[in-house]
Amino acid sequence: MLRSTASVGGDAEREEEQEDEGDEDLRDGGVPFFVNRSGLPLNAETWDRMWRHVGRIHPEGDAVAKRIRGAIDLPKIPIPSVPTYQPSTTTSIPQRLEAIQRYIRDLQYNHTGTQFFEIKKSRPLTALMDIAKEMIKEALPIKCLEAVILGIYLTNNMPTVERFPLSFKTQFSGSQFRHIVLGIHSGGRFGALGISRREDLMYKPLEFKTLAELVAEYQGAYQGYWHTLRKVKIGQYVSHDPHSVEQIEWKHSVLDVDKLSKEELRRELERHTRDMRLKIGKAAPSSPTKDRKTGSPLRNPGSPMRRNSRSDRRPSGDKKSMEPKPPSDLNGYQIRV
Amino acid sequence: MESASRKEKPKQRDTSTRGDRAKQKTAQQELKHRQRAEIYALNKVMTELEQQQFEAFCKRMQSKGE
Repeated sequence: MLRSTASVGGDAEREEEQEDEGDEDLRDGGVPFFVNRSGLPLNAETWDRMWRHVGRIHPEGDAVAKRIRGAIDLPKIPIPSVPTYQPSTTTSIPQRLEAIQRYIRDLQYNHTGTQFFEIKKSRPLTALMDIAKEMIKEALPIKCLEAVILGIYLTNNMPTVERFPLSFKTQFSGSQFRHIVLGIHSGGRFGALGISRREDLMYKPLEFKTLAELVAEYQGAYQGYWHTLRKVKIGQYVSHDPHSVEQIEWKHSVLDVDKLSKEELRRELERHTRDMRLKIGKAAPSSPTKDRKTGSPLRNPGSPMRRNSRSDRRPSGDKKSMEPKPPSDLNGYQIRV
Repeated sequence: MESASRKEKPKQRDTSTRGDRAKQKTAQQELKHRQRAEIYALNKVMTELEQQQFEAFCKRMQSKGE
C-alpha cells in the first residue's frame, strides 16, 4: 500500500487547517486519496488520474482499467430513490432514519481512491446543501464526510431530530485515521447516520440514552479493528434551514480520550449534551431570505464558546493506563475505516 | 427583401447555437452516464480487493494471537 509522505510534528497546525477544509481525506490513514474538483462529468485529467491511481494500488495494475474502460457490457446501476414521506403518514422517526441510512448505503462506500464531491467544511450550510442535492442527482459512491452532508440534507424536514457532527481520530500501527458520522438526537435518544468501510462504524439506531453511550459504542467497534480512539470531536446542532448561511460548527468539544478517565469523558460528553441543548456558542445568523429562528432558544448568546481545554481540567488522580501498543500491520496493510 | 434576409440570419444563428448547446448537453449527459457505470464497476473491484485484504489481515492477526 502506498504511504503518505505528509510529515508530522511541525505540520500539526497545517493538518488541523486542512481538516477544517475537508482535506483530511487526502491522507486517509496514510494512503493518498484524490478529490475531484472538476465537477461532473469528471474532466479528462481527473478521470485519468483516478485510473492511474487504481493502477498503482491494485495488484492487477492497469489490467483493471483495461477491463472496465470502454467496456460495452457494464451492468446498469439503478439510481436509488430518495426516501420521502407525506405529512399524513405515521412512519416513526426511527423508521425514517433507517430509510435514510438505507439510501446512503445504496450509494455505496467509495473505494475508488477519488472522492467525487468536494466538501469544504467552512462553507455556509446553504452551499453544502447544494452539494447534497448534487450527490442525490448524480448518485455516485461517497465517503464519510459526504454522507454527513447528505444526512443533514435528508433530515432537514424532521424538526424534532437534532443532528450534530461526531468525528473520531484513531491510531492504528503508527498511522492516524479520521472518520466522521452524523450524530442524531431525538426523543431523548442518540443514534447516528453515516457511511464507512466497516459496518459497525456508521449507522447506529436511535437507542442510546446518552452521548457517552454512543461514543462508547464506537470506541468498542474501533477496538474490533485494532484501532485506538485518540480524539473525539463533537459539533453543535445543525440548523434545519437549508438556506442558512451559518457554518456548521464541527468541533465545539474536542476530547482527548487518551488523557481522560472514563468518568471524565462521560462528564465532558454530558456537558457537551447540555451545551448542544442550550446552544451555547456563537449566535447563529439567520438566512438572508427567511427570518428563521433556530430550533432551540439561544441562551446567553454573549457567553464565550465553551471548549474542553486541557488547562481547564483538573488532573485526574487516576491516570489512565497506557494503551497496549497496537499490533504491527503485516505486509503493509492498514485497516482503514 | 434585404432586411428580411438580415432578420433570417440572426434567427438561423440562434437556432444553430441552441442546437449546438443541446447537443453539448446531451453529450455531457451521456458522458456522465458512462462515467457512472465505469465508476460503479471500478468500485465493485476495489470493494472486493479491500474485503480480501481485510479478511487476510484478520486471519493473520488471529493466527499471530494464537
